[in-house]
Amino acid sequence: MFVNAPTEAWTTASAGETPFDMEAIFCEQYERVARIIARVVRDHGRAEELAVEVFLKLWHNPQAQGDKTEGWLYRTAVRIGLDELRRRTRRARHESLLRFLPVPTPEELHAAKEEQQRVRLVLTVIARKHAELLVLRSNGLSYSELAATLDRNPASIGTLLNRAQQAFRKEYVTRYGKE
Amino acid sequence: MAKSNDFCVDLWVDERLATLEPSDLWRPDASQALQRLRQRASHPGPSTNWKWAAALATLTIVGICLVAFPAPRVFAHYCLDCSVALLQSLSSPSSIHPELAPEANRKTAPDFALQDASGQQLRLSAFRGKVVLLDFWATWCQGCATEIPWFVEFAGKYKDRGLSVIGVSLDADGWKAVKPYIAKNGVDYPIVIGDDSLANLYKVTAMPVTLLIDQQGRIAATHEGVFSKDTYSSEIEKLLATEPAPAETHTDQ
Repeated sequence: MFVNAPTEAWTTASAGETPFDMEAIFCEQYERVARIIARVVRDHGRAEELAVEVFLKLWHNPQAQGDKTEGWLYRTAVRIGLDELRRRTRRARHESLLRFLPVPTPEELHAAKEEQQRVRLVLTVIARKHAELLVLRSNGLSYSELAATLDRNPASIGTLLNRAQQAFRKEYVTRYGKE
Repeated sequence: MAKSNDFCVDLWVDERLATLEPSDLWRPDASQALQRLRQRASHPGPSTNWKWAAALATLTIVGICLVAFPAPRVFAHYCLDCSVALLQSLSSPSSIHPELAPEANRKTAPDFALQDASGQQLRLSAFRGKVVLLDFWATWCQGCATEIPWFVEFAGKYKDRGLSVIGVSLDADGWKAVKPYIAKNGVDYPIVIGDDSLANLYKVTAMPVTLLIDQQGRIAATHEGVFSKDTYSSEIEKLLATEPAPAETHTDQ
């Protein structure tokens, strides 16, 4: 299924019964995928690396190649981003527990975007399905796109989104109080 | 009212999530990313292959060492036995075999007749009226090596009160392996060489297995693995304290 020569690989992929142009999909969706991830992961460089991972996963997953590729990409992007965020939060917590975390400089403290940090932390704490929904919605996906991406009934998206927002707010207020 | 509240939450959450919006100035470098993707796609998981190869090579080396050299094999066996013994000692023996089996539930120990080291025939049923500690063991078994000195001690200590200890070796090499072992370890109670059929009869699948047989020839306790010396001595004491019932006339097997 997977061959070593790069050109052969790209050609083979587009020689199936349902032609799949990986390069076209990449050019069309890469920026959006990278932006979805960057929204969750602060580091833009890391977001770009993870975006490549998303497309690599798509390349290895023929079932995702087709009509639903777009939704699959967004879903995978938000999941991979949240995974990274959770991993980083966990690591930071452990490092701070072990006192290995370097003391931030005053410049870093000033530069830290406190609100972003709060929002990201809340996203790591609330249920994954809620976080996915909120991040994708904030990326401008419509209800129907959300339903397609998360493989949900379009009629239930409104309710799910409402629950996700309530959960987000509840967690935020619990941690940081009402503002 | 509820709708209005939901609407506010909606806006409030949107405002917060909007802070995560990446700067418009940032443009992901698609051409470089595409190159990276091509590169990654053209080298299918070298790390995975490498890991599999390393695991296979390690297994092969370990296998060769175990097969070719006796010392690692013995060491591996020793480690395995120690692990088993440790696991068994960690779990409370009393929880596994809380007490001797109630007399009503005891089954008659299958009889056997085998030659001992001196060539004399030893028949289990000939020990009726005595408490018998029947030990299935082997020279390579570490757990057995732990227990055998205790049994030697029990054989001397309780001999006058009516305890007989019998060792059934299941060594494949027979007397060739067993005689030097019992001479070296001062095993002075009777030893016989058993075989698979006897092991099957007593359901011995791992060693050591130690049975305590009461004066009526019935199995009062079965211990698979190493148990504490105190467990054995207290059970022997209990059995010896039991008044022997009149001899039964039925035959075993």
